[in-house]
Amino acid sequence: MIEVKHLIKVFEGRGQVVRAVDDISTQVAKGEVVVIIGPSGSGKSTFLRCLNGLEEFNDGQVVIDGIDLAESKTNLNAVRREVGMVFQHFNLFPHKTVLENVTLAQRVVRKRKPAEAAERAMKLLTKVGIAEKANEYPSRLSGGQQQRVAIARALAMDPKVMLFDEPTSALDPEMVGEVLDVMKQLAREGMTMAVVTHEMGFAREVANRVLFMDFGRILEDAPPAQFFTAPREPRAQTFLKQVL
Amino acid sequence: MSLKRHPAQWPWHGLLVVILLGLAIGLWVATKRVNYEWRWERVPQYFAYRAEVPQDTPISGQVSAIAPEGRSHRIVITPEGSGPPVTVTAEQAQVAVGATVAENDTVGVNFEWRVGPLTQGLWVTIWISFVSGFVGLVIGLITGLCRISKNPALRGLAVLYIELIRGTPLLVQIFIFYFFIGTVLNLDRTVAGIGALALFVGAYTAEIIRAGIQSIPKGQSEAARSLGMSAAETMIHIVLPQAFKRVLPPLAGQFISLIKDSSLVSVIAITDLTKSGREIITASFATFEIWFTVAILYLLVTSVLSQLLFWLERRFARSD
Ligand SMILES: Nc1ncnc2c1ncn2[C@@H]1O[C@H](COP(=O)(O)OP(=O)(O)OP(=O)(O)O)[C@@H](O)[C@H]1O
Ligand SMILES: [Mg+2]
Repeated sequence: MIEVKHLIKVFEGRGQVVRAVDDISTQVAKGEVVVIIGPSGSGKSTFLRCLNGLEEFNDGQVVIDGIDLAESKTNLNAVRREVGMVFQHFNLFPHKTVLENVTLAQRVVRKRKPAEAAERAMKLLTKVGIAEKANEYPSRLSGGQQQRVAIARALAMDPKVMLFDEPTSALDPEMVGEVLDVMKQLAREGMTMAVVTHEMGFAREVANRVLFMDFGRILEDAPPAQFFTAPREPRAQTFLKQVL
Repeated sequence: MSLKRHPAQWPWHGLLVVILLGLAIGLWVATKRVNYEWRWERVPQYFAYRAEVPQDTPISGQVSAIAPEGRSHRIVITPEGSGPPVTVTAEQAQVAVGATVAENDTVGVNFEWRVGPLTQGLWVTIWISFVSGFVGLVIGLITGLCRISKNPALRGLAVLYIELIRGTPLLVQIFIFYFFIGTVLNLDRTVAGIGALALFVGAYTAEIIRAGIQSIPKGQSEAARSLGMSAAETMIHIVLPQAFKRVLPPLAGQFISLIKDSSLVSVIAITDLTKSGREIITASFATFEIWFTVAILYLLVTSVLSQLLFWLERRFARSD
């Protein structure tokens, strides 16, 4: 489903050159859940953002469901609608109600009829347990509720892949569970997912593979059971000691 | 802190009243010293007046009878030779029974309400401001988008335009627009005036809109793009609506300025409120009264507009 080959992303600015993603090659199979962990600034977000073309990469190849992002004739908008993304800070549209947040892209991008889009939206809002807030504005919702709406909004496009960039990091501790529950259910239903998170419990329970990143590289790629009990890399060992 | 007593407010209110009263008295004394005679009663006729419409007789002959009918009079004119008498109806007869009248002589007048020059000028000011404000908004929107575009040609043009307009006085722009562009393109003076105002307000609007767009967090457009929306769709559905809400107060200020700045088009002989005022003064000599009236009319329009925009702003605040 996702294939990455020798991906390189370099940030240049103020005389500094940061190799945020430094020659990453990996792949994610259909229905697989991959959790990406690593210290701050290790390039996890940048890597994820390269996967849906939100960040233009300098070199390498990203192939989503057979489509090469770097190829000049690729329509990035068409790829992005197949790749849902959930952000750390939700990024709901504040001027739209919850329902409109979920229906807008369906109508604009998928060209669905308003009634059809609303029906799909209500189904998803029910699924993430927030249907009763459909006509509220996002500012009236708690962080956990907003993040669940954001997940519903991404799902409304019927994506083949879902990317999560620290979806629970901006939440109060008591709201983390409700969002993780939604993600776990998605994983059970067979969604292909790439998740950047600091929730080790989630990684252990749901992930098929854990990728450990540092300095823009994948230092370790292992099933969670192996990674959490016997990490090979010394840096992964130190990192795990700090977070567990 | 909360236990600290607030000092009484009423002495300050009192002081305010005293100062305002002092100003009013000062004004009165000042006009007395220049021996100005206030003639406010002359002002209303410039808003609206009753015009006399002369009623003529179609034939020559003698007025044989004048009979009141309702609020007007029936004036019967009998021709000298043979033929049937003719009746002319007028609100006020200007001939007496027995008078001889020639063909097309005025025998009476009707009264009709007409709008005066102040009202006309006010209307011109309002519609010129409105049209140039609207055109300016469109120009500003386009320029604002060009200003943040990735294309260097568009960006360069936008910067050049904005800098040219913001760096020169509006009065000079109006002259250039009228005497140069207007002559080259053979523009009507009204079109030239509106064009100059629109270009002027467009440059300022562009900067306001640019700032508004850039004030929307990047996460908003990233979220929209991640859903597969194109750059244009993102702009239309996500960024501009939010930006518009934020720029409404500065835009309102800009439009209120525009109404006042529109008085400058009177220099190219467009009969707006200011020009009407000047023309009335040459006829009436009620200089102070007319200028005060003109000022109050501008104030009226601008404050109605600010109320309207205040209301609009509150409506947009629903999602906060
Ligand atoms: N837009 C940018 N311009 C310049 N440098 C950037 C930009 N975005 C990220 N970087 C740099 O790239 C590196 C990787 O950043 P990234 O946000 O991907 O890290 P991360 O692993 O997601 O960290 P965190 O856990 O704090 O979110 C960092 O050194 C960061 O400073
Ligand atoms: Mg990050």
